[in-house]
Amino acid sequence: MPDDLSSHTPTPAPVSASEPADAIRPDWWSKSLGGVILGFTLAVALSGVFAWAGPGGAQALNKYQFNMWMLAPIWLGIVSFCFLFRSGRDCWTWLGGANLAAYAALYVCRALFR
Amino acid sequence: MRTDVVRVYKSVHTWTGIVTGLILFIAFYAGALTMFKEPLDRWIAPPAPVSTAGLEKGSELIDGALALRPEAATGFSLVLAEGNGRPLHVTWERMRNDPDPWSAILAPDGSVEVTQLDPAGIGLLVDIVHRTAGVPGDLDLGTAVTGIASALYVVALVSGVIILLPSLVKDFLVLRVGRNLKRMWLDAHNVVGIVSLPFHIVMALSAVVFGLHDQFYDTLNEVVYEGRMRTVIEGSSPMRTLKRDPRPAAMLPPAEILARVKAFEPGFAPASLQYQGYGTGGALVRVWGADPRYLVRREGFLLMSAATGAVVDTEYMPGHQGTWSSAVSAFFSLHFGSFGGGTVRWGYFFLGLAGAFLFYSGNLLWIESRRKTERRHGGLVAQSRSTALMAAGTVGVSLGCIAGLSLTIAAGKWLHGAVEDLNGWHHGVYYAVFLGACVWAFVRGAARAGVELLWATAAATAAIPATTLLAGLLPGLGLWVSDSLGVDLVALAGALVFAWMARANARRIRQGPADSVWSGRRLRLEEAAGTAD
Repeated sequence: MPDDLSSHTPTPAPVSASEPADAIRPDWWSKSLGGVILGFTLAVALSGVFAWAGPGGAQALNKYQFNMWMLAPIWLGIVSFCFLFRSGRDCWTWLGGANLAAYAALYVCRALFR
Repeated sequence: MRTDVVRVYKSVHTWTGIVTGLILFIAFYAGALTMFKEPLDRWIAPPAPVSTAGLEKGSELIDGALALRPEAATGFSLVLAEGNGRPLHVTWERMRNDPDPWSAILAPDGSVEVTQLDPAGIGLLVDIVHRTAGVPGDLDLGTAVTGIASALYVVALVSGVIILLPSLVKDFLVLRVGRNLKRMWLDAHNVVGIVSLPFHIVMALSAVVFGLHDQFYDTLNEVVYEGRMRTVIEGSSPMRTLKRDPRPAAMLPPAEILARVKAFEPGFAPASLQYQGYGTGGALVRVWGADPRYLVRREGFLLMSAATGAVVDTEYMPGHQGTWSSAVSAFFSLHFGSFGGGTVRWGYFFLGLAGAFLFYSGNLLWIESRRKTERRHGGLVAQSRSTALMAAGTVGVSLGCIAGLSLTIAAGKWLHGAVEDLNGWHHGVYYAVFLGACVWAFVRGAARAGVELLWATAAATAAIPATTLLAGLLPGLGLWVSDSLGVDLVALAGALVFAWMARANARRIRQGPADSVWSGRRLRLEEAAGTAD
C-alpha cells in the first residue's frame, strides 16, 4: 500500500505502468448516485419480496420490523461495493437491470400471496 | 488487490470519513457515556426521600397518588425499589421523553408525597447529544442527521477495510512508534478500526435504522404494503386482541401481579409496572424488566390484564418472543449493549471511546496527508488553509463536546435547587462550552487552542470528582456525596489523561517540526513576519 492517503481529488484514474489496462474508472457522480438511488430501490424491492414470499408471509407477527431492518445492510452494501463497477454506465446498467428483475418479482409475489 | 481498486476506495474512504468524522466523534463519545446514564443521574440527584413502603403497600400508594393527581390515571408506572436507587414510587410523564417527570412516594407517616422526580435529566441530555450529535432543535432532524452520517459511516468502514486488505497481514497489530508520527497514527487508526470492526458494523447499521426508520417505513408502506402497513402494524400490536372496557373494575394488587409474572417466567427480574386505564375492566399492565439470558431491547415486558392478571402478550417478553420479534430485539440489544451485564457495559464504554479515537485520528491523518513539507534551508512553508481550518474544527468540536458534557455534569450538583429549570441549564451549559470551544479553536488556531482546550477539558472533567470531594469536606456548601463513586473515579482518570495529552501537545508545539499545523514555532514566525510588513 502506498504511504500516502492524499488521493482526495476526484481525478480520472491516471494510467500508470502498474495499472491494468481495464482499470476501473472512478466516475464519482454517476456511481455514487447510482449506488444511493438504485441501491435503495433495489433494497426496498428485495425486502418486499422477502416480506410477501419469505417465511410467514406478509402478516407474520412483527415481521414488518425485520423487513425494515433488512433495508440498511442491503442498501449500504450496494453503495459500498458499487465503486467496483468498471464505469458509471456499468453501475447504472447492472443495478437498473437488477431493479427491473426485483420489482417484477415483487409484483408477482404480491399477486400470488395477497 | 488491484491498485486501481485500492486507489478508488482510498478516495471513498477519505470523503466519507472527512464528512462524517466529527459528527461520529460526538455520537461515540456521548454514546460511551450513555452506558452509565443511571449512575450519572444518581451522581447528580440529591438523596432520595425516605420511604420504607414495601410492595405490599403498592395499591395504597397508587390510590393515594391518583387521588391527589387524577390526571396521572391515563398512564403511570409503579417503579420497584430494587436496583433503582430509589424507594418504591409512582411516576408519570406530561409528555414523551419528559426530562423531569412527577413522582409520588409513601412517606413513613402513611401520607403520599408528590415531587418532581429528577429535575436534572442529565442521562436524557447525554442520550440526546448521542442521538443527534448535538444538532439543536427538533429531535427528528438531529436523528436524521446522525442516520445519514451513519450510512456514510458504513461505506467508510467497508472502504477502509478494502484499502487495508493488501497490507493487512504485514501491518496487522503493528504499531510503529517512532520518528514517523504519521505512520504511528495510521497504525493506531488501522489497529483500532480492525479490532473493533464487528462493533462498528453493528453500530453503523443499527444507527442507520434508528435515524431513518420513519423514512424506511414510509417507503415500505407505499411500495411493498400497498399503503396498508397500518393494518399490518396493528395486527402485530401487543394490544391486537383487546377490546375496550371502560367499566370500573377492581385491580389486582401489584404484589399479586408480580407473583403471576414469577410463576410465568422465574428468570425474569421485574423493574417496574406500567399501567394503562387503571381502575377499568380493560386496564393493562406492562411488567418491565430484564432477563440477562436473552438479547432484549433495553428492557423487555410482559403484557397482562391489570384486573384479572391474565397474560395478554409475550412478543416483548425475553425468551417468549416470536422469531421476528426476537431477531429485531437482538439488533436493538447489540446496539444498546443491554446484555451480558456489567462486563458488556464496560466493554461498550471502551469500544465507544475507541471509536471516538478512530474518528479523531482519521481527521489527523487527513491533515497530515496534506502537509507541505519544509525543504532544508527552504524557509517557511505555509500550510494550506483547508488543513488549518480542519485542524481547528477537529480540536474545537471534539474537545468542546468532551468539556461540555463534563462541565454540565459537574454543574448539575451546584445548580440543583438554585435554578428553576435545571434541565434547561444543563443544555445551556453544554452548548455554551461546546460553541465557545469551537470559536476559541478558530480564533486561536489549532496549535495553541489544542493545548488550551485540553487543559480546559481536564479542568472541566476534574470538576466532577472535585465536587464530590468538596461535598464531603465542606458540608456547609449544601452539596452531597452520591452513591455512584464510579462516576468520580472515571472522571478523575479522564482528567489525568487529558492533562497528560495537554502536556504532550505543548511539547509538540514547542519542539515539533515547524512545517505543521500543530507547530507554535510557525505561528511565531508568521506573527513576526506579519509585524515586519
